[in-house]
Amino acid sequence: MRRFFDDIEVGEAYESPGRTVTETDIVLFAGLSGDYNVLHTDAEFMKQSLFGERIAHGLLGLSIQAGLFTRATQAYATLAFVGLRWKFKGPIKIGDTIRLRAKVTAKKETSKPDRGLVTVERVVVNQRGEVVQEGETDLLVERRRS
Amino acid sequence: MSVAAPARFFFEDVELHGIRETPAITVTQAHVTLYSGVTGDGAPADGTAPSLLLLCLTTGLGWRIAQPPLAVLAFMGVEWHVDAPLAVGDTIHSRSKTAVKRAMREGGVIVEEREVINQRGETVQHGKFTFLVARRPAPPAPQGDSA
Repeated sequence: MRRFFDDIEVGEAYESPGRTVTETDIVLFAGLSGDYNVLHTDAEFMKQSLFGERIAHGLLGLSIQAGLFTRATQAYATLAFVGLRWKFKGPIKIGDTIRLRAKVTAKKETSKPDRGLVTVERVVVNQRGEVVQEGETDLLVERRRS
Repeated sequence: MSVAAPARFFFEDVELHGIRETPAITVTQAHVTLYSGVTGDGAPADGTAPSLLLLCLTTGLGWRIAQPPLAVLAFMGVEWHVDAPLAVGDTIHSRSKTAVKRAMREGGVIVEEREVINQRGETVQHGKFTFLVARRPAPPAPQGDSA
């Protein structure tokens, strides 16, 4: 059962299972996106860097949390993803395990009576509890037909 | 024998308000399937591409223009808006403009405005990327200089 705009309450919070980010994830994502930045692909170069090793693409972390959201709670009756405001706070390294903590912070009616806007605050933490990414997403969610 | 380091585009090289337009890529079902498999973010049931997939593809499009890669130290943030859905089979390219260039003690901050445009010239997504970029390393000190 998908949850409608009317069913979702401000203040609801979810926590996802963990997911270990592997070298395979990073290599596949580089191939898919075409982003071969040395940060993600050159182990030797990265030994000399601030991070000491290759790190995951920031957008891979962002995309994985979108997947974790679907495993954290029952599906919303989402019509569209409309936007996000996002900060990358720290690196995700090969072998790190990340999870998502999400909370509904706002609900807004729109000009169309069949849908509403739901804002979800999201925090991605690693196995040490450090915040690696955080931000807000806006989703258009279907309303229950009365 | 010396080996030239690969060319990189440093903070000093970035032109404020400079506009870059990328080549295009057709978004296929293969992209959608791979993306959903890697991320666990399910594909929409209506034959449209996942919104975040397009955001990810724009980062690769930026590598296809004739300019060395930006010497990114860290990707700091992104603000993104989805203006319209994109059907699988549509073709996108991106247009970017450097909106802010701010020197810091270590490197500099670049804010880039980016649009994703479909084959009909319609903007389907737009937003801002913020990067911390390295400064050009100082040339090695001249030899034989006495202190």
